[in-house]
This record gives sequence, C-alpha cells and structure tokens, in this order.
Amino acid sequence: MIIHVDMDAFFASVEERERPELVAHPVIVGGQPGKRGVVCAANYRARKFGVHSAMPTAQALRLCPDAVLLAPRMALYSEVSHQIRSIFEHYTPVIEPLSLDEAFLDVSASQRLHGHVSEIAKKIKQDIKDELKLVASVGVAPNMFLAKIASDLEKPDGFVIVEDENKQAFLDPLPVSRLWGVGKVTLGLFNKMGVYKIRDVRELTTETLQQHFGKHGLRLAELSRGVDKRTVTPEHQAKSISNEITFAVDLEDKRILKMHLLQLTEQVAWRLRRKNLSGRTIRLKVRLSDFSTFSRSVTLVEPVQSTQIIWKAISGLFDIFLSEKNLPIRLLGVGVCGFDGLSQQQNLFSDETQARQEIDKVTDEINERFGPAVLRRGSTTIVP
Amino acid sequence: MKFKIQRESILKPLNIVSGVVERRQTLPILSNILLTIDDESILSMTTTDLEVELNSSIQLDEVAEPGEITIPARKLLDICRTLPEGAMVEMTLKGDKVTLKSGKSRFILSTLPVSDFPATEKLKNPLEITISQNNLKTVIARTQFAMAQQDVRYYLNGLLLEVSANKLRAVATDGHRLSLCDTEVSAEISDVKNVIVPRKGVIELHRLLNDNDENVAISLGTNHIRVEFEDIVFTSKLVDGRFPDYARVLPQNVDKIVYSDRETLKQALTRASILSNEKYRGIRIQLKTGEIKALANNPELEEAEEIIDVDYDGDDLEIGFNVNYIIDALSAIPTNEVQLGFSDSNSSCLVQPKDDETCKYVVMPMRL
Repeated sequence: MIIHVDMDAFFASVEERERPELVAHPVIVGGQPGKRGVVCAANYRARKFGVHSAMPTAQALRLCPDAVLLAPRMALYSEVSHQIRSIFEHYTPVIEPLSLDEAFLDVSASQRLHGHVSEIAKKIKQDIKDELKLVASVGVAPNMFLAKIASDLEKPDGFVIVEDENKQAFLDPLPVSRLWGVGKVTLGLFNKMGVYKIRDVRELTTETLQQHFGKHGLRLAELSRGVDKRTVTPEHQAKSISNEITFAVDLEDKRILKMHLLQLTEQVAWRLRRKNLSGRTIRLKVRLSDFSTFSRSVTLVEPVQSTQIIWKAISGLFDIFLSEKNLPIRLLGVGVCGFDGLSQQQNLFSDETQARQEIDKVTDEINERFGPAVLRRGSTTIVP
Repeated sequence: MKFKIQRESILKPLNIVSGVVERRQTLPILSNILLTIDDESILSMTTTDLEVELNSSIQLDEVAEPGEITIPARKLLDICRTLPEGAMVEMTLKGDKVTLKSGKSRFILSTLPVSDFPATEKLKNPLEITISQNNLKTVIARTQFAMAQQDVRYYLNGLLLEVSANKLRAVATDGHRLSLCDTEVSAEISDVKNVIVPRKGVIELHRLLNDNDENVAISLGTNHIRVEFEDIVFTSKLVDGRFPDYARVLPQNVDKIVYSDRETLKQALTRASILSNEKYRGIRIQLKTGEIKALANNPELEEAEEIIDVDYDGDDLEIGFNVNYIIDALSAIPTNEVQLGFSDSNSSCLVQPKDDETCKYVVMPMRL
C-alpha cells in the first residue's frame, strides 16, 4: 500500500500559521498584480471566490478584493518542507517527493514497527498537525495513482483509504480527467467519443484506446482499471532525473518550444546539483500531437551537472529532431542519467569550468532564497 | 585511358591513399578513387573525405594512354590485393565502365565522372617549411596521444603546429593533460604562425611518414596544410578555432624534482594500474626521500602497492593521477632517464626527459 500526502493550501497555510492576524481572512500568496504576477497559492477562504493557483494576481484580486496579498517566501516554505520530510522519515525511508508540499511514501516494510498502513497514515497526518500546526490531506491506496486521487478527493483535511477490492467502485464514477495524462486535448477527444466517466474508459477495448491514443492508450486502459505498476523511488536512488511539460495547446513555434526546453533544462540541472549528482547521458523527449513519442539522447565524455553544458546537448538534439520530424509538439521532456559521480580529474584550462560553476551556484542560491525562476536565462523570459 | 601495371606496383600507392576512404560514405563519390594518367605516363591516385585528401603517384613502365576517371576505391584495392603475386593488371576505360584484366580474371567496374570529384583548393601564398621525415614523424608521435576526441571544444580535437624561423612546436591537449614537442625546421618566417591540424589528418599523416632523413615540404595556407614527401601529397583542412593559451599551463614553479629510470617507473605504474578503478584510473603517488610509492585500489577493494627507488631529496608529497596519463607520457619519452616535477597536490605535474627541454608533458592531478 502507498500513502500520498498533500499539504492543504501549503504556502498560504504556512503564512497563516506565521501571522495569526490573518486567520479568517482570504489569503493569496503570489506576485504583484502590476508586474503581471500570478497566484502561487490561495487559502480555502480565497478559493471560495474562485481564486486558484496560476491565475493572474490582478484577476484574483478582482474576484476577491478583500484578500490579503503576500509575497512568496520560498526559503520559509522550503524549511517547513524539510520538517515535513523528517516526519515522513520517522516512518519510512522510501519517500518520493513530487514538490515542496506533496510526496509518496511506501511503508510496506515499516508496518511491523509502526502498525498497519492506515494507522501510519493517520499518525503522519496527526504529527504534521501537532508538530507543525499544518493540515495535510492523505490518501492510502494499493498504488501511486489511486493514492494521489484519494488524497485529493476530500480536500481539505481529507483522509481516504482505498482498499484493493474496492478500487473499481472507487474509480468508476470519477470524471475521466482524473486519469493521469488526460488534459484538455485528450478530454476533448474522449468527450467526442461520449466518454465522461472512468467507467466509460474501462468499457472501451484496449484496441480502441490504442487506436486513438497510441501507447498512451494502453496506459489509460490500465489506469482505468486501477492498475499502476510504478514504484515509489526515493530521489537519492534515482537512476535518472527528468522534468517534462505537456502543453495546454500543442505548440509549433520553435522559439517558444526552445524556451520551454531551456526552462526544463534549468530545472533538471538544478535538481542534479541539489542532489550532488552528475550524469553522462542527456535525453530529450518529444511527444507530437498524434501521441507518437520520441527519445533522443547523447552520452558525453564526462558526467555533468552544469546547466550550460546540458543545454548545449539538449538544444543540439532538438535541432536534429526538428530536421527529422514534423510539428506540432504536445510534450517536451529533458532528462539526465548515467550517474557515475563527478569525475575528480582536474582541468588544465579551469577558467571556463569555474565560470560555469559560479554562474550555476549563484543562480541556485538566488532561486532557493527568492523562489524558483526568479533568476533565469534571458532567452526563457517570454514564457510566463 | 588505358594502362598496364604490375600488382605490387599498383598496391603501394593504393594502400597509401585508401586510408581516407570510408566504407559508409554519404556521398557516393567519396568512396571512389580518382585515377589520372598524364602525357608522361605518370599514374596519379587521389582520395578524399572532404577533410583530408591523399595523393600518390607512380611512373608507369610502359607507355600508357592518358585520361582520367573515378572508380570504387575499396573494390579496386580488394581486387588487386587478392590477385596472385606478380600478376600484371591492365585497366581500360570504355564508355562509363572500367575493365580490369589480369590473367584469366576480368572485372568491369562502374565509374563516376571526374567533375563530381571534390577538387582541392589551391593554397594561396603558402608558408613553406622544410623538415626531415624523421623529425616530423617524431614530433607527431610524441604529442598526438594527448589530442581530444569528439570534444565539444572542437579546437582540442587536433594538433597545434606553431612555426617560427627555425623551430616547429607541436602541442596537443584534451583539457586534462598536455603534450609538447619541439624540433628544428627551416621556414621563411619572421614571426610565429599557428595552425590546428584535425585529429584524423594527424593520425593519417603519422601513418604515412617513414623513418628516414629525407626532406618533407610543408605548405601552410590559410585553410589548408599540404605535406609533400616521396610520392605522396597529403592535404588537410585546418581547424578554424583558437587553441587555448598552452604556455600559461606549463608549470613554472616545480620545486620537487624526481629523477627516475623511465622503464622501471613505467612498468611499476602499469602493474599498479591493474587494480585501479577501471573507469577513472586513479592512482595515489607518495613522494619520499629516495622513493615513489604508487598505490591503487578499486571498488572490489583490491589493492596494489609499488615502491620505486628514485633520485629525490625534497619534501614529502601525496598526489593523485589518472595513471594512464602518466604512462602515456612515459611511453612517449625517448630517453632512459626521466624527470618529474611537482609543486603541490592540486597542481600539475611536469614530465620530461632528463635535462632535455624539447618535449614536455603536463598532467593535471585527480582528487582522491
């Protein structure tokens, strides 16, 4: 059984805890409306007015004029995130964080010590409440996919257990958009086919799904039956580090696509450096609008973690890809694997390497202190 | 075009020029060899991969019918190679086919027009340099192993040639180690000229050079280098890039100088390297009065220790290296006695023949 823990309105709740005077006010954490800022998080009182994350702050304040607008304090949230992680670590070492405020836990090996999985889940939720004065929603289920749905179902302050024998009854009535990988485009296709609930997907044959969605269709067939074979992978054991992005609308503009790629590269390189990992193999993943998916990779002489070098490889691979295949593109991904540890060989002409390391170090420090992507490479700035 | 030649006579130039013919060519003409016969019955053969061009010629014994054509190089080589010793080969161009006859064998080969064959640029106002074959072969042999391979810093994938009035210096580096070798030349030049010869050209040229003291004529153009010796003309494009300032990384203040017998040191390091990490090849070197201790271990927790008696009377030092880099340098040095200079465990090591400044090897350490 897998536990998924998802903090409720995390940034906003941390702010409320830090400033008791905010209690009973709608709270929005986000950028300045005059500077085209967006909402990072909103508490539930603000959400009642229709405010949600990623919405422009200006729009949010029109919906909810009484809201208190706070600038994000990433360093603080990151610190609280570490405290949450230490609570998890009390129960299991098998933790896969998805972001600052959510994580998967596999406690199969800890049940003898800490009791049944549902008891452990309850304890974790209670520990977060007692020690950190924060509320988490928790899902317990036979696999990662179901656990994530379960934690979301009764938010805020949710606690949902899905037993293996009940999983189909649990899934069937849910809207098809609950399936992973079903965004606007897929949803539109499903609706055209008269498919609205997960039950409707399950009743389609695997062949039909494969016809419409390719390989992704096979995955949808599995998910609709509550099958998810992925296992919780702690990051320090990760064999690769990758980030990907699915676009709301398929993209054709090569310039914009490259900006997204550069952003992904920055994220991946930052994660590598944070984990002190270096990889030799750089991989580009591209999915076209017809769901055909391509992977292109290059293996370098030495393991790397520098944004600039990974970008050199990725942009080169992307240029080759563009010369071979037709757009538009639905998904882009950047990954690094082949972790051998950093080669300890010193360089004769070290000025170049040192300059790259300095840039990465300063960028990382600023971003960790003031929030992700406060500082980024010039050519990514058109992407909001 | 029609000519007759003995198998052995055609094989010699064929073997010389076939070095740059690749089996899988994207451009069909690049797998062909250009054959030309002039009015003096000289048979000339040319091949190219667009970066390196090789040409070799031979005077035919019998009067031949002049002409020119291109035919598949690899097939011609394989046919001539497998003919019996001493066989006579007769080749005739008829229409767009070449017929090759020898004894009871007959082959008809396809051709491509000569106009398709990539023509070489004429070198404009080249710098002319004269050097002996021996010396040129030696400077390449003593430096080429340190060239980078497929590095993103493309200017490292080649050999730097630095020419002044009476000195030719070759420098190669992959960013971890550097090799440098000087030799005497005569050149009509008042300042210094630098060119980078691409890796493939360097390896090919080294293969073709012989150990004799006949003169070699080198011509350096803006974009090409041409080397002429015996019946061979080697032409290569130059790498368009700036080689790093190598002089800056030649260690100036090595204060710990070790003198050692080259072969003894090399053999000891080679033995110790067997138990170093297969990938990183790390080895720990400990300097003490009168000895070098070399230590290696690997992930299987196996260990090697070698003690080499040397002439050293300085402070103790512990430093790590990729053992292959040191062994490469020791292998390239011609003298029996070598000199290793160190300063501290984070600075490069300078390896050179004892009391000889003509070749130098710089190796950066590893953190162990």
